[in-house]
Amino acid sequence: MLLHEKTMNKFDLHKLWYLGLVVILTIYSCKDHDNEYHSITDKIEAESKKYEGTSISLEKYIEGIKMLEVTENGLTFLIPDRKGELKSYACTECHIKSLANMQSKDLKKAHWNIKLDHANLNTMNCVTCHNGNDMDNLKSLTDNKIDFNKSYQLCSQCHAKQFNDWTGGAHGKRIGGWAPPRASMTCVNCHNPHKPHFESKWPERYNTQKVRERK
Amino acid sequence: MGSQGKKWFSLNLNNKGKQKQASGSCGCGNPSGGCHSNETISDGAFFEAAVDASIGEERHKDGFEQVFDVKMDRRTAFKKLTASLLIGAGAVSTSCSVVAGDDAKEKSQIDWEEQFKGNYKLMNDEEKKGTVDRLVRSYQLRTGKTISLSSKNAEKDVLFGYAFNISKCQGYMDCVNACVEENNQDRKSEMQYIRIHEMKDGKGFNFNEADDNYYHEVPAEGHFYMGTQCFHCDNPPCVEVCPVQATWREEDGLVVVDYDWCIGCRYCMAACPYDGRRFNWSKPEIPENEVNKNQHYLGNRLRKKGVMEKCTFCVQRSRAGQNPACVEACPTGARIFGNLLDPDSTIRWVLANKKVFRLKEDLGTEPKFWYFMD
Repeated sequence: MLLHEKTMNKFDLHKLWYLGLVVILTIYSCKDHDNEYHSITDKIEAESKKYEGTSISLEKYIEGIKMLEVTENGLTFLIPDRKGELKSYACTECHIKSLANMQSKDLKKAHWNIKLDHANLNTMNCVTCHNGNDMDNLKSLTDNKIDFNKSYQLCSQCHAKQFNDWTGGAHGKRIGGWAPPRASMTCVNCHNPHKPHFESKWPERYNTQKVRERK
Repeated sequence: MGSQGKKWFSLNLNNKGKQKQASGSCGCGNPSGGCHSNETISDGAFFEAAVDASIGEERHKDGFEQVFDVKMDRRTAFKKLTASLLIGAGAVSTSCSVVAGDDAKEKSQIDWEEQFKGNYKLMNDEEKKGTVDRLVRSYQLRTGKTISLSSKNAEKDVLFGYAFNISKCQGYMDCVNACVEENNQDRKSEMQYIRIHEMKDGKGFNFNEADDNYYHEVPAEGHFYMGTQCFHCDNPPCVEVCPVQATWREEDGLVVVDYDWCIGCRYCMAACPYDGRRFNWSKPEIPENEVNKNQHYLGNRLRKKGVMEKCTFCVQRSRAGQNPACVEACPTGARIFGNLLDPDSTIRWVLANKKVFRLKEDLGTEPKFWYFMD
């Protein structure tokens, strides 16, 4: 009987040891290094709360590019100047007379290379955006003046979804790099306003490596 | 090259190399071109003597005796042997050679120091600068041209993230070209970091049926395009499996490789669930005039055969504030890059306002590469 009790005690002691071991293992098997957060979204949320800005700046990459600051949808960023890019701006250097007077056969033909390929003719023609009486500016659908530098206001009348994405940065490209201040290309830096779609073309290169790897 | 605070074994060999060369001597203060102690014995003899002095009779025993009749443990013996080799071969043949020119001496000196340098991950800033300076000088001695090699560390409050717009990608492959040129990739093997997959509409992300080698006018009707590359996971399985810790995640989230520490076992390649890692099967060759001279130690510096490499989000560009080359080259604006910790960044706007998803999210790898649609 005494012997039996002794073995029981021994068993209990063993059990206790095992229990202790399991507890210790459980504590130590939790990977604590680098895994303070449950997910990357948690990490971003938590760590961006103490965001103080970085010393990396875009300044030197956009040096010498004429930019203007715009605020749209509550977001402020830089876009490149457009008027300086246009070859024959200001338009009034030629357009001194009204359009009707300039369309005669005696005068030299201009803008012969522009063929409108944007929506269809029921929706758009030249005067949807250009104002025959004020050639130096664009005009909205309701005949309000739109500056050539802010031509995105014109596009946004129909392409509201793209415009929204562009203001946030999901549509279009950045200038210089990711670092602040944000400088973004505007619509006309990628799209030709008279022919805005992208052409299909041959890829820039042919990739053979994957074929070789699979052999 | 002080031995204090070091986490690896290295020797204090000619650490004042440049000053010594300037004074015209070779490490022992003797300007005549040879050191007194070494002038009298040949290289071979010195090597013999050095080995004898360090492990003595051990080396005359056969394998059985070495195992069963050792006076010093094998680890110590090996350490000593390495030390002797370094003194013998290194110092004799390079620093104190009478025949070798200054350039050759410096070159082999650099080679020795590079051979025995530690893991970049464990280096302090001074040691990082040391190895970078050596590599720049080495390139200068070999080609006569100067490169800019950076060892810029991760910036505080920066965590890089990437977003890819599937509706925008048209499969033009400009990104791949830009990547190859920017990252000094081998031109012949056509190993590339980025893959562009052509997928059939209505079949979702079906990688088994995707065409990665298309060559026809794009975008092809009834198809969409999506790109994959290293996703810079926040919990990267490739880092876990590396037996020599030659790959790790930097503070700004970039998963990088120390090409000089990598042993080429390709465990990481097997561990990556995204096919993000590449291996150099052949010696990378780039025409000299096409070498991108703006380099980073962890990025696009010239690499060798038999080690792993992969997309680094162009560390040489991104840490300087620029976008990776693929982002800059993309003509459709399908690629968006930025700082995830900056609440006003465009990448954060994408994450907050678009319906984003990642590949194999259930694996818990936490890639920092999101896909979205218009």
